[in-house]
Amino acid sequence: MTRPSKAGVPRRVARYLVLGIGAFVCLMPFAYMSANALKTYAETVTRVSPNPFSRDFWPASPQWANFAEVWLGDAFGHYFLDSFVISMTTLAGTLATSSLAAYAFAKLRFPGKEAIFSVFLATLMIPETVTLIPNFLVVSRLGWTDRLAGLTVPFIASAFYIFLLRQFFRQIPDSLVENARMDGAGNARILRSIVAPLSRAPLFTVACLDIAFSWNSLQWPLVVVQTPRWRPISVGLARLISEAGPQIQLRMAGALISLLPIVLVYIVAQGQIVESISNAGIKE
Amino acid sequence: MRIRLPSLSARGSEAITAYLFLLPAALVLGLFGLFPLVFNAYISLFDWRIKHASFVGLANYGEIFGGAAPFFLLLASIALMTAGFALIRRKRKAPARVLGVLLLAGGAVALALDLPRIDLAGDSDMLRSFRVTVWYSLGTVPVQLVLGFLIAAALDGKFKGKQAFRVIYLVPYIVPTVATAAVFERLFSLRPESWANQMLALFGARPLQWLREYKGVFEMLFGPGLASGSDSPARYWVTWAGGPSLALVSIMIYNYWVYVGYYALIYANALAAVPRQLYEAASLDGAKPWTMLRRITLPLVSPSTYFLTILGIIGTFKSFNSIYVLRDPSTGGVTDPMSVYIFFQFFHDGRFGYAAALSVILLAIVVGLTVIQRRSMEKRVFFD
Repeated sequence: MTRPSKAGVPRRVARYLVLGIGAFVCLMPFAYMSANALKTYAETVTRVSPNPFSRDFWPASPQWANFAEVWLGDAFGHYFLDSFVISMTTLAGTLATSSLAAYAFAKLRFPGKEAIFSVFLATLMIPETVTLIPNFLVVSRLGWTDRLAGLTVPFIASAFYIFLLRQFFRQIPDSLVENARMDGAGNARILRSIVAPLSRAPLFTVACLDIAFSWNSLQWPLVVVQTPRWRPISVGLARLISEAGPQIQLRMAGALISLLPIVLVYIVAQGQIVESISNAGIKE
Repeated sequence: MRIRLPSLSARGSEAITAYLFLLPAALVLGLFGLFPLVFNAYISLFDWRIKHASFVGLANYGEIFGGAAPFFLLLASIALMTAGFALIRRKRKAPARVLGVLLLAGGAVALALDLPRIDLAGDSDMLRSFRVTVWYSLGTVPVQLVLGFLIAAALDGKFKGKQAFRVIYLVPYIVPTVATAAVFERLFSLRPESWANQMLALFGARPLQWLREYKGVFEMLFGPGLASGSDSPARYWVTWAGGPSLALVSIMIYNYWVYVGYYALIYANALAAVPRQLYEAASLDGAKPWTMLRRITLPLVSPSTYFLTILGIIGTFKSFNSIYVLRDPSTGGVTDPMSVYIFFQFFHDGRFGYAAALSVILLAIVVGLTVIQRRSMEKRVFFD
């Protein structure tokens, strides 16, 4: 019972010290972002203590109007909506294609299974730079530049999510699937009414990761969007950063707005996201 | 004892269903993931500038390497080094190992003489972006491994608040890169009131240019003597001796911030899988903590180390978002790894064919790294 021996106490202190410093470093940039998003322009030059526990790190009185200026003046509302539509469309496609493919890999027998699976996985290794030019030419040929299709279709399948879901689907007992088959259910039906309901947690994780991924995509939208008709938030924010000049408070307000949805998603799904990321690592 | 033999047609229909289920994903991955590899190689054979233009054969590659001779010498030196390395690792006998060392050294000398030639006759900007990529890997991966392991060790076991720490450590990895890079772009700005310069001021140091500083950190530390040189091959290697630019080091710091927590979680998972009895048995035998770390913990987490190492190196060949935000055009490309250099060749200069040729080389490097990873994985996992 009396676990904390003589060696135990300094050890616990050391543990919390290391972890505390780590957590402080993780969170400090967010404090900086929030503090500067709420400053006046003058304060971003004068109230510049590097210590978040000092009063001079924070604004004298918070300037909430900065957010309104970015939201309205820099069309962040428009970027926000675009990113929302893009990520939801990508998500719908991803969930459909990935769960179908993962079910086939986990529960069906067919020739060439291993080979097809490793070809799928190989696509994860390819840098986006290599596919950028050909994909741009293909998408232009299809007439998809500046269109929702061009921004979403290339991303509606991902070997990573297929892999994650396959791992989970494989744990569902075959007997459940066999019994349903005996009762005359087709595979589509089994996937929809047995496998999917049992896999709410992994499907939810995939959904969250995919939203975070779409929200963050920058290189492809830069290339495929040539008019302001579609402007996802990362492109809008990158423009704001290069064009806002010295107005740090506006950049920080824009950055804060753009990461709020992902922070919300993360808060809701933190447990599952942490588990699946720390486990997915090893098996690749 | 089987009750019902699945008929051939049942098997066949199961396979057809499977292919139908795979079809949507296969179409997307095939059209936007695999077909581009072939198409990219095709584009690289043309003088393609936005519009489809004339066939130029290998001229784009010639421009990159400055002709056929430097290119083949490069291939030969890589082949020599690979062969030498393989001999050293596989053969136990002394003569074979000596031969291996000789081959390795020969390849290295050939490479050391060849790169300056490519730098002079070929695309020196490409070589610079390669150098940036190498520095970026060397500067990020080992640091992230060590810090990640330390934090993982602190996260090991049961204690109050563990889950909260795990959640916090993954925040930098999860939230959008553009937004957090925008913060670091301010933290490490050259202005005297920036966070980094205020920290320096606390220690009485003078402000630095950080993300705007194109000078190499070794050059800044050890004086400019390094940077001057004559026109010999040595001149090219002097550009390496200057070290990564301070601007690139600032980007590396951002990288640590994003990835150390992620590395820590992966390591923590591996640590949790190490059987406790091993430690108990070892401490009964009087093993010191340091010995246990070296003989038990590190070998058992080595699959994670390899995974993270190769993931980190390949990551530097893929990196884009953070550098796009953090780079300062006035530094003349000292922060641009190959992926970013290629992007600007394509996106700003409209040189589709040339950028495609560059990305064929990038792909070759990434595939090579993956093969090395597979090989060393096999060895490690069976050896230890």
